Amino acid sequence: MTIRRNLFRNGGNLLAATETIRMSTLSLLLAMVVSAIIMAICRYNPFEAFGAIFTGAFGNSRAISQTLVHATPLMFTGLAFTIAKKASLINIGVEGQMYMGAIATAWIGALDFGLPAVLHLPLAILFGAVAGALLAGLVGFLKVRFGSNEVISTIVLNTIAINITGYLANYPLKADGPTAQTNRILPTAELPRLFQGYQLTAAFFIAIAVCAIIYLVMNKSLLGYEIRCVGYNRLAAQTAGIPIGRVMVVTMLISGAVAGLAGAMLVLGVDKRFIVGFSPGYGYNGISVAALAADNPIGVVFAGLIFGALNAGSMVLNRTTRIPTDFINVIQAFVIIFVSAPLLVKDILPFHKLRRKHDK
Amino acid sequence: MISDFILRMVFPVLISTISMSTPLILAALGGVFSVRGGIMALGLESMMMTGAFCAVLGSYLSGSAWIGVLCGVLGGMLLGLLHGVLCIRYKVNQVISGIGLNLLALATTTLLMQLVWKNRGSSPQVASLEYSGVVSPLFWLTLVLAVVASVVLFRTKFGLRLRMVGEHPQAAASMGIRVHGYKYIGVLVCGALAGLGGTYLSLDHLNMFVRDMTAGRGYIAVVINILARYTPLNTIWCAGIFGFSDAVQIIFQGRGIPPQLVQSLPYVVTLLVLAFGVKHITPPAGVGKSEDD
Amino acid sequence: MRVVEMHDIVKDYPLTRALDHVDFALDSGSIHSLLGENGAGKSTLMKILYGMCTPDQGHIQIKGQSERITNPRQAINLGIGMVHQHFMLAPVMTVAENIVVGSEPDTGLLFDSRKAALVVDQLIARYGFCIKANERVSNLSVGEQQRVEILKALYHGAEILILDEPTAVLTPQEVEELFVIMRELRKAGKSIILITHKLKETLAIADTLSVLRDGRMITSGLSIEGVSADDLARMMVGRDVDLEMTNRSKTIGPISLQVRGLTLKGKEKNILSDLSFDLHRNEILGIAGIEGNGQSELIEVLTGLAKAEAIVFQHEGTTLSGDAHDFIQLKIGHVPEDRSTRGLIKEMTVEENLMLGYHRSPRFNRRGFFRPSAVRDFAQRMIKDYTIKTGSSRQRCGSLSGGNQQKVVIARVFSEDPDLIIVAQPTRGVDIGAMHYIHERLFELRDQGKAILLVSADLDEVRRLSDRIAVMYDGRIVSISKPGEYTETQLGLMMTGSSVEGCKDDNQA
Repeated sequence: MTIRRNLFRNGGNLLAATETIRMSTLSLLLAMVVSAIIMAICRYNPFEAFGAIFTGAFGNSRAISQTLVHATPLMFTGLAFTIAKKASLINIGVEGQMYMGAIATAWIGALDFGLPAVLHLPLAILFGAVAGALLAGLVGFLKVRFGSNEVISTIVLNTIAINITGYLANYPLKADGPTAQTNRILPTAELPRLFQGYQLTAAFFIAIAVCAIIYLVMNKSLLGYEIRCVGYNRLAAQTAGIPIGRVMVVTMLISGAVAGLAGAMLVLGVDKRFIVGFSPGYGYNGISVAALAADNPIGVVFAGLIFGALNAGSMVLNRTTRIPTDFINVIQAFVIIFVSAPLLVKDILPFHKLRRKHDK
Repeated sequence: MISDFILRMVFPVLISTISMSTPLILAALGGVFSVRGGIMALGLESMMMTGAFCAVLGSYLSGSAWIGVLCGVLGGMLLGLLHGVLCIRYKVNQVISGIGLNLLALATTTLLMQLVWKNRGSSPQVASLEYSGVVSPLFWLTLVLAVVASVVLFRTKFGLRLRMVGEHPQAAASMGIRVHGYKYIGVLVCGALAGLGGTYLSLDHLNMFVRDMTAGRGYIAVVINILARYTPLNTIWCAGIFGFSDAVQIIFQGRGIPPQLVQSLPYVVTLLVLAFGVKHITPPAGVGKSEDD
Repeated sequence: MRVVEMHDIVKDYPLTRALDHVDFALDSGSIHSLLGENGAGKSTLMKILYGMCTPDQGHIQIKGQSERITNPRQAINLGIGMVHQHFMLAPVMTVAENIVVGSEPDTGLLFDSRKAALVVDQLIARYGFCIKANERVSNLSVGEQQRVEILKALYHGAEILILDEPTAVLTPQEVEELFVIMRELRKAGKSIILITHKLKETLAIADTLSVLRDGRMITSGLSIEGVSADDLARMMVGRDVDLEMTNRSKTIGPISLQVRGLTLKGKEKNILSDLSFDLHRNEILGIAGIEGNGQSELIEVLTGLAKAEAIVFQHEGTTLSGDAHDFIQLKIGHVPEDRSTRGLIKEMTVEENLMLGYHRSPRFNRRGFFRPSAVRDFAQRMIKDYTIKTGSSRQRCGSLSGGNQQKVVIARVFSEDPDLIIVAQPTRGVDIGAMHYIHERLFELRDQGKAILLVSADLDEVRRLSDRIAVMYDGRIVSISKPGEYTETQLGLMMTGSSVEGCKDDNQA
């Protein structure tokens, strides 16, 4: 008891951080247990399922590479959601912003400027980020200027963005052939593979670097401070002379840029072109990642890896067992619910109750 | 000439508008009960989708479309109850809860389709609602329900108390009203109506369930709800606007205009409405808060 | 006869014991004042009686019957009614709807709104109030809303009426009117509990009194006969307090803030119309007025949060314009009226709050990034200088007590050495110790040559601190006077818009 109190006095943040990590871990485990129970009810062997997932995610070097490849877009989308959340903005539009980023990158990547790779690749990435930022910026602008609820406008813009990119890939930018996709990007715009025969590219490390940068910006910089002020208490921020409208728009721009990067990296590293319907819902799964990360940019790295492993593993699940891969989506949805309902987790897990009584 | 025009253009558009707006009206009506009780209705999509799925499942198992309808309503209520438990008992952020449930419903229905029918894309055809005439009886039922909802909300003791709970939960609690009970009733009614809306999609509009069947209609219903200022009768014409643009889009299809652009139309309209039309609409004061009573 | 008896009530909250073996009794047909400081446990005790809160121990008797009250419905059925400090009214709904909710007149399944309006109108007429049953509550004044609350309790058959700090939002005249209502209710046989921390009111209206301090009952059921304000203050605080501490400025300096013809337009009418005043250095100008007469908007204009038109709007000769940031740069300090909505960010740490508004200053950061040691050192100094009680500078600000939170705001503003300080409700919700400290600091700053504009809903505070008092009514300044010039009653009259010479009762107007 005394130790606990001292900890609280001297390093409340540390205690809060460990508590957050504990709750996230418990929520994840609970989501997996619940899914396992559902599997068992459906007469599948959950051990077989998780075994297959584990093999698919970590079984050999190729599996690990796949885990990292799957984690990359999730880290970007999770981070994008987290950034907006810091300003108390719910950016459901990550999916649409990612589509915009992907199409912009695919367009620039396929254009032949005669540029060397050192210029062409960054240019393509930049366009992806800018395209995502612009769409998210529109959301911020609508909110600040007209008071439109960002949840609704992002949902609407997702559909619009997916339709517009679909139109572009079907008509003006369509590559020859039956499928709705753009031309293959030029070799100068490709993210090189790190190891021969593995899909892993530098995109994974770029994702980690972006998470680290965002962490520093949020916690150590003036801009991050103002974003957090706006997120926690808009009126107090306004009273303190913080231009809340501008901060919200800037936050959305950054969030959208990171979402755009998700699309750009997928195009440059994995698909090599924009393919209609390329995303299995990375934008929405980013919400799960952000939830599991408890809105911490560093946490996003780990949460992204966990979901990356689940997704990579689900491929093997699909190949080697009859168990439907949709269990992975069920787990992800449960993670959102459990992480956002700590009281529920405490109710379900009995040892928490004992502990609470003991504390009293 | 004119009669030909009416026959070929106006009539189909009208029928199509009615058919497209019916599920929207139902879901938005549900949203009214949820929001008036102080709970955001972002989970409408999940309630519709579960309703649509359960309806098909019920019809598949029983062979009776009407049992299917009943199952659809119950399925919607189940999700309404879940949303309620999360928001009321566990004080989850109502936006996150709604979105989490939407993802959960999409994942679960897809999963269950594989388990029941071994098919990830669509269910087999099942007994659907059959009627003579071009307008579904569910549409007339929907209109009746809108009137009933209006009476319940503004002319009954229950409605007065529900609105008080949504506006000022502590005030309601201080008069001995069971705030949580009313909120639960609100989300359950919401689930039932949205579930019926989903049922319309799967057992009336079509006769099967397909993956992601609601395709964002639940979200549109949320917008309609705001636009209608959370009043039942207004939802009819607000939903009508969206149903109409959907209908027009169908007419336009296959006339040389890229479908992706036409499909965006209702959403662009929504966006414009959001920017210019929703400014002075305030939800009940208690919405989104999860305080103790 | 005793209508209420509460025995040995204990209530624990996670970190504190709110009520410690408290006994309380209310006599039939009497007005009983329950006195105590903020946080002494008065409201908790009454919430227990009203069933909004269950005690950990103890039992309650109503009219001699042992009762377990676990829900307000039960309390209402036992004839207990409560008028809450924060009104329990839905602003968008009508007076009648707000009053009848919970036991509505009906015709079978349907709610009979016509009958509800009729019954409520009769009730209004019986007490001679000027309210309409079908009016929306949002269109009523604060005083009128309070009457709706009282009517609500009476409609539901209250015999025992609990009034929680009913005078906090009222003018002296409205307080008088409330007292008239209370006496009438007493005559009609109702028993009334008045929760208050105001001694004068207790002495003016109560028959008996009880004093709570730190969750303990100090005196219970004391008759009002022969009790003095000093006695009560000692019981409330636990030591001698100087109730009349005051300290006027010796020299008035040059003009710091000059305002002429300041007008803020609202949707239907002017929120501020044609305000003109000067604020000097070495001076505290107090703004008195009932809440909602433009004080909040005046603060917003003076701190750059709202824009108004003005003929002259100058601080130290510079015309003021821009947003809150520009005003802060011009050395205008602002202690917001509500620390939890505008003053502090409770989720952030003490040190982050201590630089809020001044966080862009180069001493805290370099090239867009903070210098943690500079931030920490500054916070440590503030915590020491302003005796802020906190575990560490990195503790969450929301975990501090109200008084210490207010000190964080004050430390932040005062340490920046502003020339002009806008101070709003500086002692709301803080204990007497912190209140004294804050008042002393304000005197100190004034003597150092600062110009201070004080806005407070507490007329006593305004009278005690101010070198001049401006009274605001309906967006205008209706008078500016020296403290001794008008009596409290006269000031109160002006606050309701009556001229001091003329009108006697604005209710008849």
